[in-house]
Amino acid sequence: MSRERPRDPGDKAVDVYSLVPNLRECLACGKCAGSCPVAALSPSYNPRQIIRDVLAGNEERWLASEEIWRCFWCANCYTVCPADIQFPLLMMQLRYRALEKGFGLKYIVPFKRFALRAREDALTFAPGEKGREKIMRIRKGIGANPWPEVSEKARAEYRELFELAGVAEWLDEITSGEEKPVCLRYVEGRIVDE
Amino acid sequence: MNKERAVKPEALFPDVPQTVFLFRSCTGSLEYPGTESAVREVLKKLGIGVEMDPDQTCCSGYLLTCSGHHPQFSLAVTARNLAIVEKKGLDTFVFCNGCFGYNRELSHILLSNPGYLAAANASIAKWGYEYKGKTRIFHVQELYLRLLDRIEAMVERPLKGLRVGAHYGCHYLAQQYGILDEGGYPTFHEKIIRALGGEPVFYPERQACCGYSVGRGFTHKESLVQPHLVKKLESARDSGVELMTTVCPGCNVALDREQPNLSRMGKGEFAIPVIDLGQLIALAIGVPAGKLGFEANTVSMRKVLNKLGLEEK
Repeated sequence: MSRERPRDPGDKAVDVYSLVPNLRECLACGKCAGSCPVAALSPSYNPRQIIRDVLAGNEERWLASEEIWRCFWCANCYTVCPADIQFPLLMMQLRYRALEKGFGLKYIVPFKRFALRAREDALTFAPGEKGREKIMRIRKGIGANPWPEVSEKARAEYRELFELAGVAEWLDEITSGEEKPVCLRYVEGRIVDE
Repeated sequence: MNKERAVKPEALFPDVPQTVFLFRSCTGSLEYPGTESAVREVLKKLGIGVEMDPDQTCCSGYLLTCSGHHPQFSLAVTARNLAIVEKKGLDTFVFCNGCFGYNRELSHILLSNPGYLAAANASIAKWGYEYKGKTRIFHVQELYLRLLDRIEAMVERPLKGLRVGAHYGCHYLAQQYGILDEGGYPTFHEKIIRALGGEPVFYPERQACCGYSVGRGFTHKESLVQPHLVKKLESARDSGVELMTTVCPGCNVALDREQPNLSRMGKGEFAIPVIDLGQLIALAIGVPAGKLGFEANTVSMRKVLNKLGLEEK
Protein backbone atom coordinates (compact mmCIF):
# COMPACT_ATOMS: atom_id res chain seq x y z
CA MET A 1 0.00 0.00 0.00
CA SER A 2 1.67 3.20 -1.06
CA ARG A 3 0.24 5.22 1.78
CA GLU A 4 2.16 2.99 4.16
CA ARG A 5 5.48 3.80 2.52
CA PRO A 6 7.51 6.16 4.69
CA ARG A 7 8.65 9.31 2.99
CA ASP A 8 12.17 10.61 3.03
CA PRO A 9 13.09 11.08 6.72
CA GLY A 10 14.35 14.54 5.77
CA ASP A 11 10.79 15.58 4.87
CA LYS A 12 9.59 17.82 7.65
CA ALA A 13 6.67 19.70 6.20
CA VAL A 14 3.68 17.87 4.84
CA ASP A 15 3.55 18.16 1.09
CA VAL A 16 -0.07 19.14 0.73
CA TYR A 17 0.08 18.67 -3.02
CA SER A 18 0.72 14.96 -2.91
CA LEU A 19 -1.50 13.72 -0.13
CA VAL A 20 -2.76 10.74 -2.11
CA PRO A 21 0.27 8.91 -3.47
CA ASN A 22 -1.80 5.96 -4.70
CA LEU A 23 -4.26 8.00 -6.77
CA ARG A 24 -3.03 6.27 -9.91
CA GLU A 25 -4.30 2.98 -8.58
CA CYS A 26 -7.89 4.19 -9.11
CA LEU A 27 -9.86 1.53 -10.98
CA ALA A 28 -12.56 3.98 -12.02
CA CYS A 29 -15.09 1.53 -10.59
CA GLY A 30 -17.31 4.35 -9.37
CA LYS A 31 -18.10 2.92 -5.95
CA CYS A 32 -17.08 6.31 -4.54
CA ALA A 33 -19.65 8.16 -6.62
CA GLY A 34 -22.27 5.52 -5.88
CA SER A 35 -21.88 5.82 -2.14
CA CYS A 36 -21.42 9.59 -2.00
CA PRO A 37 -24.31 11.39 -0.25
CA VAL A 38 -23.37 14.63 -1.97
CA ALA A 39 -23.33 13.11 -5.44
CA ALA A 40 -26.81 11.78 -4.67
CA LEU A 41 -28.08 15.32 -4.25
CA SER A 42 -25.77 17.11 -6.61
CA PRO A 43 -24.60 14.87 -9.46
CA SER A 44 -22.19 17.46 -10.80
CA TYR A 45 -20.02 16.56 -7.81
CA ASN A 46 -18.60 13.23 -8.86
CA PRO A 47 -15.58 11.77 -7.05
CA ARG A 48 -14.71 9.39 -9.87
CA GLN A 49 -14.81 12.20 -12.40
CA ILE A 50 -12.64 14.36 -10.17
CA ILE A 51 -10.00 11.62 -9.89
CA ARG A 52 -10.02 11.06 -13.67
CA ASP A 53 -9.56 14.79 -14.26
CA VAL A 54 -6.76 15.16 -11.73
CA LEU A 55 -4.92 12.20 -13.26
CA ALA A 56 -5.38 13.62 -16.73
CA GLY A 57 -3.95 16.96 -15.64
CA ASN A 58 -7.29 18.74 -15.75
CA GLU A 59 -7.53 19.71 -12.10
CA GLU A 60 -7.73 23.43 -12.85
CA ARG A 61 -11.41 23.33 -13.72
CA TRP A 62 -12.22 21.79 -10.37
CA LEU A 63 -10.19 24.42 -8.50
CA ALA A 64 -12.45 27.06 -9.97
CA SER A 65 -15.60 25.10 -9.21
CA GLU A 66 -18.07 25.28 -6.39
CA GLU A 67 -18.31 21.51 -6.40
CA ILE A 68 -15.11 20.89 -4.44
CA TRP A 69 -16.65 22.80 -1.52
CA ARG A 70 -19.58 20.40 -1.31
CA CYS A 71 -17.86 17.36 0.15
CA PHE A 72 -19.38 16.40 3.56
CA TRP A 73 -16.12 14.76 4.53
CA CYS A 74 -17.92 11.55 5.48
CA ALA A 75 -15.28 9.41 3.73
CA ASN A 76 -17.81 6.89 2.43
CA CYS A 77 -15.75 7.01 -0.77
CA TYR A 78 -12.71 5.84 1.18
CA THR A 79 -14.65 3.18 3.08
CA VAL A 80 -15.79 1.52 -0.14
CA CYS A 81 -12.68 2.08 -2.28
CA PRO A 82 -11.15 -1.23 -3.37
CA ALA A 83 -7.85 0.55 -4.04
CA ASP A 84 -7.71 2.24 -0.61
CA ILE A 85 -7.66 5.72 -2.10
CA GLN A 86 -8.23 8.39 0.50
CA PHE A 87 -10.39 10.61 -1.62
CA PRO A 88 -11.10 13.11 1.20
CA LEU A 89 -7.39 13.91 1.18
CA LEU A 90 -7.63 14.73 -2.51
CA MET A 91 -10.44 17.13 -1.65
CA MET A 92 -8.18 18.67 0.98
CA GLN A 93 -5.40 19.05 -1.55
CA LEU A 94 -7.68 20.62 -4.17
CA ARG A 95 -9.08 23.04 -1.62
CA TYR A 96 -5.62 24.21 -0.54
CA ARG A 97 -4.76 24.77 -4.18
CA ALA A 98 -8.03 26.58 -4.84
CA LEU A 99 -7.46 28.92 -1.90
CA GLU A 100 -4.01 29.78 -3.19
CA LYS A 101 -5.55 30.76 -6.48
CA GLY A 102 -8.17 32.91 -4.82
CA PHE A 103 -11.13 30.54 -5.15
CA GLY A 104 -13.39 29.50 -2.28
CA LEU A 105 -12.11 32.16 0.11
CA LYS A 106 -15.66 32.94 1.16
CA TYR A 107 -15.86 29.56 2.87
CA ILE A 108 -12.82 30.22 5.00
CA VAL A 109 -13.50 33.82 5.96
CA PRO A 110 -16.36 32.98 8.39
CA PHE A 111 -14.30 30.09 9.76
CA LYS A 112 -11.65 32.50 11.06
CA ARG A 113 -13.66 33.56 14.09
CA PHE A 114 -14.33 29.94 14.99
CA ALA A 115 -10.64 29.05 14.72
CA LEU A 116 -9.40 32.07 16.65
CA ARG A 117 -11.82 31.32 19.45
CA ALA A 118 -10.61 27.72 19.55
CA ARG A 119 -7.08 29.08 19.85
CA GLU A 120 -8.04 30.85 23.09
CA ASP A 121 -10.01 28.00 24.65
CA ALA A 122 -8.05 25.01 23.34
CA LEU A 123 -11.58 23.74 22.73
CA THR A 124 -13.90 24.09 19.77
CA PHE A 125 -17.59 24.97 20.03
CA ALA A 126 -17.11 27.22 23.05
CA PRO A 127 -20.05 29.60 22.67
CA GLY A 128 -20.48 33.24 23.62
CA GLU A 129 -21.63 34.61 26.99
CA LYS A 130 -25.24 33.40 26.92
CA GLY A 131 -24.41 29.95 25.62
CA ARG A 132 -21.72 29.64 28.27
CA GLU A 133 -24.23 30.20 31.06
CA LYS A 134 -26.45 27.47 29.74
CA ILE A 135 -23.59 25.00 29.45
CA MET A 136 -22.38 25.81 32.95
CA ARG A 137 -25.88 25.34 34.32
CA ILE A 138 -26.24 21.94 32.68
CA ARG A 139 -22.77 20.82 33.71
CA LYS A 140 -23.39 21.86 37.31
CA GLY A 141 -26.73 20.06 37.21
CA ILE A 142 -25.10 16.75 36.36
CA GLY A 143 -22.44 17.22 38.99
CA ALA A 144 -19.58 18.13 36.65
CA ASN A 145 -17.17 21.04 36.85
CA PRO A 146 -19.04 24.09 35.43
CA TRP A 147 -16.49 24.36 32.62
CA PRO A 148 -14.47 21.52 31.05
CA GLU A 149 -11.20 21.24 32.92
CA VAL A 150 -8.69 22.62 30.46
CA SER A 151 -5.60 23.90 32.27
CA GLU A 152 -4.00 27.28 31.75
CA LYS A 153 -0.87 25.36 30.68
CA ALA A 154 -2.86 23.56 27.96
CA ARG A 155 -4.29 26.82 26.69
CA ALA A 156 -0.93 28.59 26.67
CA GLU A 157 0.82 25.77 24.84
CA TYR A 158 -2.03 25.43 22.37
CA ARG A 159 -1.84 29.14 21.60
CA GLU A 160 1.90 28.92 21.16
CA LEU A 161 1.65 25.99 18.74
CA PHE A 162 -1.04 27.89 16.85
CA GLU A 163 1.37 30.81 16.40
CA LEU A 164 4.39 28.62 15.76
CA ALA A 165 2.63 26.86 12.90
CA GLY A 166 1.52 30.19 11.50
CA VAL A 167 -2.19 29.37 11.55
CA ALA A 168 -3.36 32.89 12.37
CA GLU A 169 -1.05 34.30 9.73
CA TRP A 170 -2.39 31.91 7.10
CA LEU A 171 -5.97 32.77 8.05
CA ASP A 172 -5.17 36.49 7.99
CA GLU A 173 -4.09 36.26 4.40
CA ILE A 174 -7.48 34.94 3.40
CA THR A 175 -9.80 37.87 2.86
CA SER A 176 -12.99 37.81 0.89
CA GLY A 177 -11.91 40.88 -1.09
CA GLU A 178 -9.73 38.71 -3.30
CA GLU A 179 -12.44 36.18 -4.02
CA LYS A 180 -12.55 35.17 -7.64
CA PRO A 181 -15.90 34.25 -9.10
CA VAL A 182 -16.31 30.51 -9.46
CA CYS A 183 -17.37 29.02 -12.73
CA LEU A 184 -19.71 26.46 -11.29
CA ARG A 185 -20.73 24.36 -14.21
CA TYR A 186 -18.99 21.15 -14.86
CA VAL A 187 -21.95 19.39 -16.33
CA GLU A 188 -21.21 17.27 -19.35
CA GLY A 189 -24.71 16.00 -19.83
CA ARG A 190 -25.40 15.65 -16.15
CA ILE A 191 -28.23 17.07 -14.10
CA VAL A 192 -27.34 20.22 -12.21
CA ASP A 193 -29.10 20.72 -8.91
CA GLU A 194 -29.63 24.46 -8.83
CA MET B 1 -0.87 -1.60 12.78
CA ASN B 2 -3.47 -4.31 12.63
CA LYS B 3 -4.11 -5.01 8.96
CA GLU B 4 -7.37 -6.86 9.50
CA ARG B 5 -10.24 -4.71 8.34
CA ALA B 6 -12.79 -5.85 10.91
CA VAL B 7 -11.76 -7.35 14.21
CA LYS B 8 -13.62 -8.93 17.08
CA PRO B 9 -13.69 -6.93 20.29
CA GLU B 10 -11.95 -9.86 22.02
CA ALA B 11 -9.07 -9.45 19.60
CA LEU B 12 -8.91 -5.72 20.29
CA PHE B 13 -8.85 -6.34 24.02
CA PRO B 14 -7.67 -9.83 24.97
CA ASP B 15 -7.58 -8.39 28.48
CA VAL B 16 -10.06 -5.77 29.54
CA PRO B 17 -8.10 -2.64 30.50
CA GLN B 18 -8.31 -1.76 34.19
CA THR B 19 -7.82 1.94 33.60
CA VAL B 20 -8.31 3.96 30.46
CA PHE B 21 -7.45 7.48 29.42
CA LEU B 22 -10.64 9.21 28.36
CA PHE B 23 -10.01 11.81 25.67
CA ARG B 24 -12.18 14.87 26.28
CA SER B 25 -14.37 15.78 23.33
CA CYS B 26 -15.05 19.50 22.91
CA THR B 27 -18.54 18.90 21.56
CA GLY B 28 -19.24 16.14 24.05
CA SER B 29 -18.34 18.34 26.99
CA LEU B 30 -19.86 21.61 25.77
CA GLU B 31 -22.81 20.94 23.46
CA TYR B 32 -23.85 17.73 25.25
CA PRO B 33 -22.08 17.54 28.61
CA GLY B 34 -24.27 14.56 29.47
CA THR B 35 -22.31 12.48 26.97
CA GLU B 36 -19.04 12.76 28.85
CA SER B 37 -20.83 12.18 32.11
CA ALA B 38 -22.65 9.10 30.76
CA VAL B 39 -19.46 7.54 29.40
CA ARG B 40 -17.74 8.02 32.74
CA GLU B 41 -20.67 6.55 34.66
CA VAL B 42 -20.89 3.52 32.37
CA LEU B 43 -17.15 2.82 32.62
CA LYS B 44 -17.34 3.26 36.39
CA LYS B 45 -20.16 0.73 36.62
CA LEU B 46 -18.17 -1.65 34.43
CA GLY B 47 -15.36 -1.41 36.95
CA ILE B 48 -12.96 0.43 34.66
CA GLY B 49 -10.92 3.30 36.04
CA VAL B 50 -11.05 6.55 34.07
CA GLU B 51 -8.28 9.11 33.87
CA MET B 52 -8.57 12.45 32.14
CA ASP B 53 -6.05 15.26 31.98
CA PRO B 54 -6.66 19.01 32.05
CA ASP B 55 -3.54 19.46 29.91
CA GLN B 56 -5.24 17.74 26.97
CA THR B 57 -6.52 20.09 24.27
CA CYS B 58 -8.90 19.78 21.33
CA CYS B 59 -7.76 17.17 18.78
CA SER B 60 -7.73 20.02 16.24
CA GLY B 61 -9.05 18.18 13.25
CA TYR B 62 -11.39 21.11 12.64
CA LEU B 63 -8.56 23.04 11.01
CA LEU B 64 -8.11 20.28 8.47
CA THR B 65 -11.72 19.66 7.50
CA CYS B 66 -12.27 23.38 7.09
CA SER B 67 -9.01 23.89 5.15
CA GLY B 68 -8.07 26.25 7.96
CA HIS B 69 -4.41 25.47 7.74
CA HIS B 70 -1.86 22.98 6.48
CA PRO B 71 -1.57 19.85 8.63
CA GLN B 72 1.57 20.79 10.62
CA PHE B 73 -0.39 22.34 13.45
CA SER B 74 -2.80 19.43 13.90
CA LEU B 75 0.11 16.98 13.74
CA ALA B 76 1.91 18.83 16.53
CA VAL B 77 -1.25 18.98 18.64
CA THR B 78 -1.84 15.25 18.16
CA ALA B 79 1.74 14.47 19.16
CA ARG B 80 1.35 16.65 22.26
CA ASN B 81 -1.95 15.15 23.39
CA LEU B 82 -0.87 11.58 22.80
CA ALA B 83 2.49 12.19 24.51
CA ILE B 84 0.54 13.18 27.62
CA VAL B 85 -1.38 9.89 27.55
CA GLU B 86 1.70 7.85 26.76
CA LYS B 87 3.45 9.12 29.85
CA LYS B 88 0.69 7.58 31.94
CA GLY B 89 1.22 4.23 30.25
CA LEU B 90 -2.45 4.12 29.18
CA ASP B 91 -4.35 3.63 25.95
CA THR B 92 -6.48 6.47 24.60
CA PHE B 93 -10.26 6.08 24.53
CA VAL B 94 -12.34 8.63 22.70
CA PHE B 95 -16.10 9.03 22.67
CA CYS B 96 -16.31 11.13 19.52
CA ASN B 97 -15.85 9.79 16.01
CA GLY B 98 -14.11 13.03 15.08
CA CYS B 99 -11.49 12.61 17.80
CA PHE B 100 -11.20 8.96 16.76
CA GLY B 101 -10.63 9.66 13.08
CA TYR B 102 -8.18 12.48 13.60
CA ASN B 103 -6.15 10.89 16.36
CA ARG B 104 -5.93 7.63 14.44
CA GLU B 105 -5.15 9.21 11.11
CA LEU B 106 -2.77 11.90 12.33
CA SER B 107 -0.85 9.51 14.58
CA HIS B 108 -0.61 7.11 11.64
CA ILE B 109 0.81 9.88 9.47
CA LEU B 110 3.29 10.83 12.20
CA LEU B 111 4.41 7.26 12.74
CA SER B 112 4.86 6.44 9.08
CA ASN B 113 6.79 9.62 8.26
CA PRO B 114 9.85 10.02 10.49
CA GLY B 115 10.39 13.56 9.25
CA TYR B 116 6.93 14.70 10.33
CA LEU B 117 7.30 13.00 13.67
CA ALA B 118 10.66 14.69 14.27
CA ALA B 119 9.20 18.07 13.33
CA ALA B 120 6.16 17.62 15.58
CA ASN B 121 8.28 16.43 18.48
CA ALA B 122 10.72 19.31 18.00
CA SER B 123 7.87 21.80 18.39
CA ILE B 124 6.70 20.30 21.69
CA ALA B 125 10.06 19.26 23.17
CA LYS B 126 10.58 22.46 25.14
CA TRP B 127 7.60 21.55 27.34
CA GLY B 128 9.05 18.12 27.94
CA TYR B 129 6.79 16.12 25.59
CA GLU B 130 7.83 13.39 23.23
CA TYR B 131 5.42 11.25 21.23
CA LYS B 132 6.67 7.74 20.52
CA GLY B 133 3.51 6.05 19.33
CA LYS B 134 2.91 3.72 22.25
CA THR B 135 -0.63 4.66 23.20
CA ARG B 136 -3.25 2.94 21.08
CA ILE B 137 -6.42 4.75 20.11
CA PHE B 138 -9.80 3.18 20.73
CA HIS B 139 -13.40 4.29 20.69
CA VAL B 140 -15.31 3.56 23.92
CA GLN B 141 -17.96 1.73 21.88
CA GLU B 142 -15.36 -1.01 21.33
CA LEU B 143 -15.28 -1.49 25.07
CA TYR B 144 -19.09 -1.55 25.26
CA LEU B 145 -19.14 -4.38 22.78
CA ARG B 146 -16.30 -6.23 24.50
CA LEU B 147 -18.20 -6.05 27.78
CA LEU B 148 -21.68 -6.52 26.39
CA ASP B 149 -22.33 -9.57 28.59
CA ARG B 150 -21.47 -7.52 31.63
CA ILE B 151 -23.67 -4.66 30.43
CA GLU B 152 -26.57 -6.98 29.69
CA ALA B 153 -26.35 -8.46 33.17
CA MET B 154 -26.44 -4.97 34.65
CA VAL B 155 -29.60 -3.80 32.89
CA GLU B 156 -31.97 -2.45 35.54
CA ARG B 157 -34.33 -0.54 33.31
CA PRO B 158 -34.89 -2.59 30.17
CA LEU B 159 -35.88 -0.42 27.22
CA LYS B 160 -39.24 -2.20 26.82
CA GLY B 161 -39.05 -2.57 23.10
CA LEU B 162 -38.24 1.08 22.50
CA ARG B 163 -37.67 1.50 18.76
CA VAL B 164 -34.11 2.76 18.49
CA GLY B 165 -32.46 3.76 15.22
CA ALA B 166 -28.67 3.68 15.28
CA HIS B 167 -26.52 6.28 13.56
CA TYR B 168 -22.98 4.97 13.31
CA GLY B 169 -21.23 8.10 12.16
CA CYS B 170 -18.75 8.01 9.34
CA HIS B 171 -15.40 8.60 10.92
CA TYR B 172 -15.32 5.40 12.85
CA LEU B 173 -16.28 3.14 9.96
CA ALA B 174 -14.09 5.12 7.56
CA GLN B 175 -11.03 3.65 9.22
CA GLN B 176 -9.75 0.92 6.94
CA TYR B 177 -8.21 -1.35 9.53
CA GLY B 178 -8.71 -2.65 13.03
CA ILE B 179 -12.32 -1.56 13.59
CA LEU B 180 -15.38 -3.50 14.68
CA ASP B 181 -17.03 -3.74 11.30
CA GLU B 182 -16.19 -3.41 7.66
CA GLY B 183 -18.50 -0.49 7.29
CA GLY B 184 -20.61 -2.07 4.56
CA TYR B 185 -23.45 -3.12 6.80
CA PRO B 186 -22.51 -2.66 10.43
CA THR B 187 -24.73 -4.26 13.06
CA PHE B 188 -22.90 -3.92 16.37
CA HIS B 189 -24.98 -0.99 17.60
CA GLU B 190 -28.11 -3.02 17.01
CA LYS B 191 -26.58 -5.80 19.07
CA ILE B 192 -26.03 -3.39 21.93
CA ILE B 193 -29.54 -1.92 21.62
CA ARG B 194 -31.03 -5.41 21.72
CA ALA B 195 -29.00 -6.29 24.81
CA LEU B 196 -30.56 -3.29 26.55
CA GLY B 197 -34.06 -4.50 25.74
CA GLY B 198 -34.67 -2.10 22.88
CA GLU B 199 -35.85 -2.92 19.40
CA PRO B 200 -33.28 -1.85 16.81
CA VAL B 201 -34.74 -0.32 13.67
CA PHE B 202 -32.92 -0.82 10.39
CA TYR B 203 -34.23 2.31 8.68
CA PRO B 204 -33.18 2.70 5.03
CA GLU B 205 -30.91 5.73 5.48
CA ARG B 206 -29.33 4.26 8.61
CA GLN B 207 -25.83 4.60 7.24
CA ALA B 208 -26.23 8.06 5.75
CA CYS B 209 -23.81 10.68 7.02
CA CYS B 210 -25.08 13.42 9.36
CA GLY B 211 -23.97 15.95 6.75
CA TYR B 212 -22.32 18.01 9.35
CA SER B 213 -18.66 17.88 10.33
CA VAL B 214 -17.40 21.04 11.95
CA GLY B 215 -17.78 22.97 8.76
CA ARG B 216 -21.38 23.96 9.25
CA GLY B 217 -21.89 27.42 7.90
CA PHE B 218 -18.38 27.51 6.48
CA THR B 219 -17.53 24.81 4.04
CA HIS B 220 -20.78 22.88 4.57
CA LYS B 221 -23.61 24.69 2.92
CA GLU B 222 -27.12 24.46 4.35
CA SER B 223 -28.52 24.19 0.85
CA LEU B 224 -26.90 20.79 0.59
CA VAL B 225 -26.88 19.61 4.21
CA GLN B 226 -30.57 20.21 4.84
CA PRO B 227 -32.06 18.15 2.00
CA HIS B 228 -29.65 15.41 3.01
CA LEU B 229 -30.82 15.51 6.62
CA VAL B 230 -34.45 15.54 5.54
CA LYS B 231 -33.84 12.30 3.63
CA LYS B 232 -32.23 10.70 6.64
CA LEU B 233 -34.78 11.87 9.21
CA GLU B 234 -37.77 11.06 7.00
CA SER B 235 -36.46 7.57 6.58
CA ALA B 236 -36.09 7.19 10.35
CA ARG B 237 -39.49 8.68 11.13
CA ASP B 238 -41.30 6.59 8.54
CA SER B 239 -39.69 3.45 9.93
CA GLY B 240 -41.04 4.29 13.37
CA VAL B 241 -37.80 5.28 15.07
CA GLU B 242 -38.60 6.65 18.53
CA LEU B 243 -35.03 7.47 19.49
CA MET B 244 -31.83 7.83 17.54
CA THR B 245 -28.41 7.10 18.99
CA THR B 246 -25.01 8.39 17.93
CA VAL B 247 -21.44 7.72 19.02
CA CYS B 248 -20.23 11.13 17.99
CA PRO B 249 -21.38 14.36 19.64
CA GLY B 250 -20.76 16.11 16.31
CA CYS B 251 -23.34 13.92 14.56
CA ASN B 252 -25.61 14.49 17.53
CA VAL B 253 -25.47 18.25 16.96
CA ALA B 254 -26.46 17.89 13.32
CA LEU B 255 -29.27 15.39 13.86
CA ASP B 256 -30.74 16.98 16.98
CA ARG B 257 -30.23 20.73 16.65
CA GLU B 258 -31.34 20.89 13.05
CA GLN B 259 -34.82 19.38 13.51
CA PRO B 260 -36.62 22.61 14.58
CA ASN B 261 -34.95 24.49 11.70
CA LEU B 262 -36.20 21.95 9.19
CA SER B 263 -39.66 22.14 10.67
CA ARG B 264 -39.64 25.95 10.58
CA MET B 265 -38.71 25.81 6.92
CA GLY B 266 -41.62 23.48 6.26
CA LYS B 267 -39.35 20.58 5.37
CA GLY B 268 -40.92 18.15 7.78
CA GLU B 269 -41.81 17.39 11.38
CA PHE B 270 -39.62 14.76 12.94
CA ALA B 271 -39.41 15.09 16.73
CA ILE B 272 -36.93 12.23 17.04
CA PRO B 273 -34.72 12.72 20.09
CA VAL B 274 -31.06 11.99 19.45
CA ILE B 275 -28.71 10.92 22.24
CA ASP B 276 -25.36 9.24 22.64
CA LEU B 277 -25.27 5.44 22.77
CA GLY B 278 -23.40 5.81 26.07
CA GLN B 279 -26.33 7.80 27.46
CA LEU B 280 -28.72 5.04 26.42
CA ILE B 281 -26.58 2.35 28.06
CA ALA B 282 -26.29 4.49 31.19
CA LEU B 283 -30.05 4.88 31.29
CA ALA B 284 -30.61 1.15 30.95
CA ILE B 285 -28.09 0.17 33.59
CA GLY B 286 -29.64 2.49 36.11
CA VAL B 287 -27.60 5.68 36.08
CA PRO B 288 -29.97 8.42 37.32
CA ALA B 289 -31.37 10.39 34.38
CA GLY B 290 -30.37 13.57 36.21
CA LYS B 291 -26.73 12.71 35.56
CA LEU B 292 -27.21 12.38 31.82
CA GLY B 293 -27.86 16.02 30.94
CA PHE B 294 -30.80 15.50 28.56
CA GLU B 295 -31.80 19.14 29.03
CA ALA B 296 -29.00 19.98 26.60
CA ASN B 297 -30.98 18.28 23.83
CA THR B 298 -33.05 20.34 21.42
CA VAL B 299 -35.60 17.58 20.75
CA SER B 300 -37.05 16.63 24.11
CA MET B 301 -36.44 13.21 25.63
CA ARG B 302 -39.67 13.42 27.63
CA LYS B 303 -41.65 10.89 25.60
CA VAL B 304 -38.87 8.33 25.74
CA LEU B 305 -38.31 8.84 29.45
CA ASN B 306 -42.03 8.54 30.11
CA LYS B 307 -42.17 5.32 28.17
CA LEU B 308 -39.41 3.97 30.38
CA GLY B 309 -41.31 5.14 33.45
CA LEU B 310 -38.92 7.97 34.18
CA GLU B 311 -39.57 11.65 34.57
CA GLU B 312 -37.39 14.15 32.80
CA LYS B 313 -35.41 16.09 35.34
